[in-house]
Amino acid sequence: MRKLLLIGTMGALLALLVSACGGSSGGGGSISVAQEGEGKPTAASEICEEEPVVGGNLTYARQLEVVTLNPREIKNGNGDIFADEMLYSGLVRNDPDGSAKVVPALAEKWDVSKDGLTYTFTLKPGIKYSDGSPITAEDIAWNMEQFADPETNVSLPSLGEGIKKISAPDKSTVVVELEYPVAAFLYNIAVFPAFVVPKDKVEAEGDAFWKHPVSSGPFVMKEFASGSHITFEKNPNYFEKGKPYVQTMRWNFVPNSNTRVLELKSGQANLADGIPFNQVESLQGESGVTIQQVEFPQEAMLILNNKVKALGDVHVRRAISLAINREQLNEAVFRGTGTVPNSVIQKFELDASDQEVPPFEFNVGKAKEEMAKSKFANGFSVSMKYPAGFDYYKQLSLLLQAELKEIGVNVKLEEEEAATIAEQWLEGEFEMTFPFAGTSSDIPVPDEYASLFALPEAELDGFKSFWTNDEAKKLVQKFISNTDEATRKPEWKVIQELFNEEMPSLNVMDYPLINGHESNICGTKANGLGVDQLQETWVGKASS
Amino acid sequence: MLVYLVKRLIVSIVVLLGIALGTFLMIHLIPGDPAKIQLGVHATPEAVAHLHKEWGLDKSLPQQFWIYLGNIVTFDFGQSTAFNSGVSELVGDRVTPTAVVLIYGILISLVIGVPLAIWAALRQGGWIDNAIRVTTTFTFAMPPFWLGLMLALLLGYKLGWFPVSGYETGISGILRTCTLPALTVGLGLLVIVVRNLRANLVTVLHSDYIEAARARGYSELRVVSKHAMRNSIVGLITILASLFGFIVGLLVLVESVFRIPGAGTLLVQAVSKRDYQLVQTLVFLSGAFVVIIGFLADFAYAWLDPRIRLAGRS
Repeated sequence: MRKLLLIGTMGALLALLVSACGGSSGGGGSISVAQEGEGKPTAASEICEEEPVVGGNLTYARQLEVVTLNPREIKNGNGDIFADEMLYSGLVRNDPDGSAKVVPALAEKWDVSKDGLTYTFTLKPGIKYSDGSPITAEDIAWNMEQFADPETNVSLPSLGEGIKKISAPDKSTVVVELEYPVAAFLYNIAVFPAFVVPKDKVEAEGDAFWKHPVSSGPFVMKEFASGSHITFEKNPNYFEKGKPYVQTMRWNFVPNSNTRVLELKSGQANLADGIPFNQVESLQGESGVTIQQVEFPQEAMLILNNKVKALGDVHVRRAISLAINREQLNEAVFRGTGTVPNSVIQKFELDASDQEVPPFEFNVGKAKEEMAKSKFANGFSVSMKYPAGFDYYKQLSLLLQAELKEIGVNVKLEEEEAATIAEQWLEGEFEMTFPFAGTSSDIPVPDEYASLFALPEAELDGFKSFWTNDEAKKLVQKFISNTDEATRKPEWKVIQELFNEEMPSLNVMDYPLINGHESNICGTKANGLGVDQLQETWVGKASS
Repeated sequence: MLVYLVKRLIVSIVVLLGIALGTFLMIHLIPGDPAKIQLGVHATPEAVAHLHKEWGLDKSLPQQFWIYLGNIVTFDFGQSTAFNSGVSELVGDRVTPTAVVLIYGILISLVIGVPLAIWAALRQGGWIDNAIRVTTTFTFAMPPFWLGLMLALLLGYKLGWFPVSGYETGISGILRTCTLPALTVGLGLLVIVVRNLRANLVTVLHSDYIEAARARGYSELRVVSKHAMRNSIVGLITILASLFGFIVGLLVLVESVFRIPGAGTLLVQAVSKRDYQLVQTLVFLSGAFVVIIGFLADFAYAWLDPRIRLAGRS
């Protein structure tokens, strides 16, 4: 009896060990995944060729939790933003099919004056909040004022700059007057700080309103348990008739990536975001699970502190970029899901193509030539910080260290906790650093990041690279106020090329979000900023 | 007895003050500014100053410490900067799941560990004893993160006996969702329970009064459970209380793997976001919990063991 018990225990423990080794360990090799965010919904099976099914529930395992539902006082980045996108709408929105176009939301059309200073929006008729009260032009005007005021718009006050006057001349018209032309104005108001909520209720209830907000978006919040989950219900008064398709939605907050993957595999969740790169292959092998690659302007940005003597030399910066084998990094770290960049900042639709502006080259010979041209031909030592808690950043940094050694740059790696690394970046206390795990733009055009890098008025010291360039400053200032669509693209190409020449910091890789979902979940789209368009999603009839 | 208890009370208060001061200094002195963390790339000096003023961070450190002490005494723990609610409310919501997993975990470690310890002690030196000690060290050595995932994979995903993650209330909900996390905690604590209890039992079982009890004809079961255990179990309580820090660490990992919305995860998030009020409150409350447990343990000793009670009289 005792013998049996002991053998039983040892056996159980061995079984645990063996099951751990059972999963496939990802090797190299790129994977083919359904490309998302570029207009094509996943068509993983014939289920999705059918008509959308109305009703049902979606359970989504999310990596970031929702902390607050006030879109003008975001506390947890995308955790809050993605929830706000489900609850609220603005005058306009980013194309749900993933292009960089701005399309109607609460406004059905708009006119821009010739001087680019006056925007006149005509509201859709009969728009209502989730509680049935009408969404009036006055309400929207008040929301725009909140957006323009840095006291209330704490999340992204820079997007609200330049607004002179907002008025509602009649029930269905909103007029916004600018002090100076802002080329990205429509993009600026398409995002979360410009979302619309009922003025009278917010003023009456104050902070309590945000615990149970009234919606102008596809869903209404039903229940919100901090640290655990949030549940939504279809908003019957959503301006897009017939959508959302699902009746209810539940987002579970699952910060642990292994748990998210397990929940998806076991069917506890229909969708999961933030699939780690090294688990993509094993998930692809599962029948019943589809991987979705969401392209949006995100890069692994390595900031070079130009105040460090060696890094202040443009030849050194170029050499470093030339020494990086981005193709190999893409395979090893991002499992082929990344794109070799041709721009210092993130990838935008407005960018010049790879044929016009070539992607960053890998050429150790040229790198050594650049080093020879610099004052640091014999190489130098430098420290590189990267955020802890992301195994792909650790891998990336180790590979970079090895590559830079080839050209005589000795990199000392320093792993820091995310909050510390961000603080040190802001204080300029670093030599080379990845300030964030993934640096992404808030709008689908280069205006925001070009300004953050080149304009002193952004107060960010060249995105803390301490790089300054008068020509870049002049070009960017002109670019962000040029409202002529036709000339924006060629103007941006010149700036893109200048940034690449100057290389103030390095774009190591443009890379996407990897999400996963059960194969019978259809209509999984994301807009150009990677935000899930769950009002387009439906639960197809599961195949037997 | 009263004098003894009053002395212990005074010491406890001093320890609590030390914890308050220590936590305050540590969280304020490490790099990282909660305003800059929240604002990210949009952390202009004006925006940062605005948030500092709103959160009372523009005051001097001694001033902030006084306010913090005042908060503790009035049980008003202030506003969380990382989350959208008051600290008391936040902590209150999150403590229950953690407490559930903790108690369930300790229960499992006792239910499995006590019989194993008795068995090992009674067969001291034999191969059963060795097998038990090796196996429990084995479960202790397994990283809890990995152990939890393996349990979720095996018992949750492959066998489908339990959900792989989540937390539900109610008796059936807790049994369904908290068994795997509690099992992870329990297996991690098992070695402490087994070794400690076994060691105490081995010592006690060789005592004269145990021989006397056996001589009186009592069954082995009665000898062990009534006479030997009473002397052995108090040591176990002390060890568990003193390992509270380790247990909190275990809970944080388990909460992460099994998606339990508990106070462990809250603490980690609070530190990452430098939410001073929340961190200080959570650490202080954990410290207070240990101190109270210690105080109650001392009280239990004094009650169970007349020798301690009498020795405490100065």
